[in-house]
Amino acid sequence: MGHASERTVDRTAAPKVAVDFWADEKNRKMWDDIVPGAPRKTVPYVLTREAIQAYCRSVGDLHPLYMDEDYAAASPYGGLIAPPSIHILLMFACTPMDDWMRSPGTVNAGQSWSYNLPARPGDTIRMDARALDKFIRKDRLFVIHDNVFFNQNDDVICSGRGWTIRPM
Amino acid sequence: MTQTMTPTSATTSFESLAIGDTIAGTPFAPTRETIREFCDASLDYNPLHWDDAYMKGNFGKTSFGGIIMHGMTNFGILTKMLTDWLYPMGGVHRRLETRWKAPVKPGDTIVPTGTITAKKETAGSRWAVIAVEIKNQHGTTIAQGEAMAEFPPAR
Repeated sequence: MGHASERTVDRTAAPKVAVDFWADEKNRKMWDDIVPGAPRKTVPYVLTREAIQAYCRSVGDLHPLYMDEDYAAASPYGGLIAPPSIHILLMFACTPMDDWMRSPGTVNAGQSWSYNLPARPGDTIRMDARALDKFIRKDRLFVIHDNVFFNQNDDVICSGRGWTIRPM
Repeated sequence: MTQTMTPTSATTSFESLAIGDTIAGTPFAPTRETIREFCDASLDYNPLHWDDAYMKGNFGKTSFGGIIMHGMTNFGILTKMLTDWLYPMGGVHRRLETRWKAPVKPGDTIVPTGTITAKKETAGSRWAVIAVEIKNQHGTTIAQGEAMAEFPPAR
């Protein structure tokens, strides 16, 4: 398909929220512009219990360590935590609107994550992010990205790589 | 609160863990509504997941023919399978790597599974490697990958 800006967008289907992948599209880097190794701009994000629990509900993961304050307080974790996969939310929460990760048509081809400490409600999360590599395979444009999430104490929460197919 | 735990292998500790042991995850049946709920919860509003008109196009050599579930939902349900299995044993989910093999559409039912492939004792801890997979209702492989769990020794 052609570049996304060439098509007509059905705005009636757009989410009724501020997060719109079509906004800022002209400011986003295309595959050609992405420099492996260059840091991406990111924004800190305060993780709330509500955001954790909304994420948990969306994947059907209602473990009491995430949902039940009394249960979590009596557990070895000593309080509510987020599931390890909360980086799914954190990645977009820490990504500015004009970042190429938000380009419409970005296809996720795979991910690899390592987990150190659980994120917790009230944590202020920081993401260090960059592209690590870009290449062409089977007529598709790929980028490998690298993200590390830290809490307010500069402890690593988790780190990961992702493979995305970039829109052409 | 009500908590439905996932049926899993009979493993109760690192010692009793055996190569070939399996872990059964909870089936997940995405709908347009759950996909939209995931958009809101993950802040991932890529039109792949909500814009039917956009999805009539072709992506390089790929045509999806309609909206698809977020690939990362696979990651979330694999994580649930692993943590439901690990938390009662005091185990810690340390790593998950996945590749997406096929898209998931509203109306599909996907099921995650795991198989223990290796155990390793290191200088400081104890580890298990788990092959993970998700299949849909047709037996098509949706995602494949590998996880690693830590079983910290009692101190």
